[in-house]
Amino acid sequence: MAAWLVWRAWWRQAGVRLSALDGPGRLLAAAAATLPAGRRDWGEAMAAELAQVPVQERGARWRFAAGCARAAVFPPGGSRVAVGVAGVAVAATTAAALATGAVLPAGRVFAPTFIGVVGGLATLAVARSHRAGWAWPGAAITGLGLAGVAACMAATGYYLAEFPAYQRADPPATLASLPPVTAAVLAVLLAGCLWLALRPPRWLLPDRRARRFGVGMAVALVAGFVLTTSRQVLGNPPGSEGMVFYLLIGPILVVLTGSAAAAAVGRSFRSGLWACAWAVVLGAPLLIAAWLAEALRWYQQGQGTVLDRAGGLGVGVNLGDAVWWPLVFLAVWAVPLGVVGAAAGSARARERGDPASTT
Amino acid sequence: MVSFTRLSGQATTAVILGLAEQPATWRYGHELCQQLDLEPGRLYRALMRLADLGLLEAAWESEAPADRPPRHRYRLSGPGRAYAATLAAGPPVPATTARGVGGIRRRPRLQGT
Repeated sequence: MAAWLVWRAWWRQAGVRLSALDGPGRLLAAAAATLPAGRRDWGEAMAAELAQVPVQERGARWRFAAGCARAAVFPPGGSRVAVGVAGVAVAATTAAALATGAVLPAGRVFAPTFIGVVGGLATLAVARSHRAGWAWPGAAITGLGLAGVAACMAATGYYLAEFPAYQRADPPATLASLPPVTAAVLAVLLAGCLWLALRPPRWLLPDRRARRFGVGMAVALVAGFVLTTSRQVLGNPPGSEGMVFYLLIGPILVVLTGSAAAAAVGRSFRSGLWACAWAVVLGAPLLIAAWLAEALRWYQQGQGTVLDRAGGLGVGVNLGDAVWWPLVFLAVWAVPLGVVGAAAGSARARERGDPASTT
Repeated sequence: MVSFTRLSGQATTAVILGLAEQPATWRYGHELCQQLDLEPGRLYRALMRLADLGLLEAAWESEAPADRPPRHRYRLSGPGRAYAATLAAGPPVPATTARGVGGIRRRPRLQGT
């Protein structure tokens, strides 16, 4: 349903125009959409020249479109600097791999992957730059994003140093707290959140109110999590055991209603989507950090795992849980809820007779 | 400012010299690809670079037929023509000389857009 809502909104805006294009035209349109704002004219210029290549010459049209697409995705401007940034990124990644291998062996996948992804994103950004500077998402988003990623890094580092492995009672085994795949997923997630907080794509930025809604929703998600875990520890659970309950209910209360409100206030389906996206981007690292901090408190009071209060497992199991469960619930549960909320909010605005709410 | 090293690419040089053959005539991207035997990606990167440096004038067609979109057209600017003359005159221009070519703007804007 959420996918259908997104597809319908996209089709209203761009689908009809794209449906009139052939394959090379669509390829070029997609590549041109990635051009920095200061170079948008060049995308239109390339499309106009593609129209000069006869439709019958399909091979020539594909070659022309592919060449133009390459220029659109990698416009000139920063290639020399990009080589330098890429070199620094490779050196930093190598140094991180060597250092963590020696000092913190449990982090030998996480640390270099994180630095490598950040370095790759920085290289890509520099290679595509056009003197235009970067789009500033605002102090609240950048501050909250940096705080979330820093808290998550600190908590992860603490777990890797103190609880690199955990014991499982049944069947008995010793398992790594942060297996390689989970470490890579966490590193990519944090690097992506960091990058979006510092240098988001321009399509995430047009609506200031949506950004504010996103910040508020992220804070509310994490505050609700902390409040719920406190009630659980005090022996007054609001529902089923563990935090699965909150992962189901929290996004309904926060993301669904928040996205609907953002769409209604912004009078646009997209405003709701932007608010939902910011809530997820900013909320994910904060939620992981809060999960890991609360897990320590739960274990001190003999409560078991944060997820489902399971006993017989070392505290380190929470590290993997903190990565996968919030991630899965935010991606599979909260985002579709946000899309539905955005549709409901924009429909409400449309009922009030605002024509802008159709997009 | 223009540094010679930033204009040392073969495609960029070919585009400058190609445009300089008929400096007053507006030219089009597809036409330039065919004339200079350049792959479109290289041509457009060169055109963007020249426009960034103020060596290229770019403008949209003012009157396009109804059956196709208006085309972007290009020709060398005054500094571009001066630079092309310097290029055609002899060996590679030292950076200090290239920097002095004709009052080049730092952030040129496309005309007619």
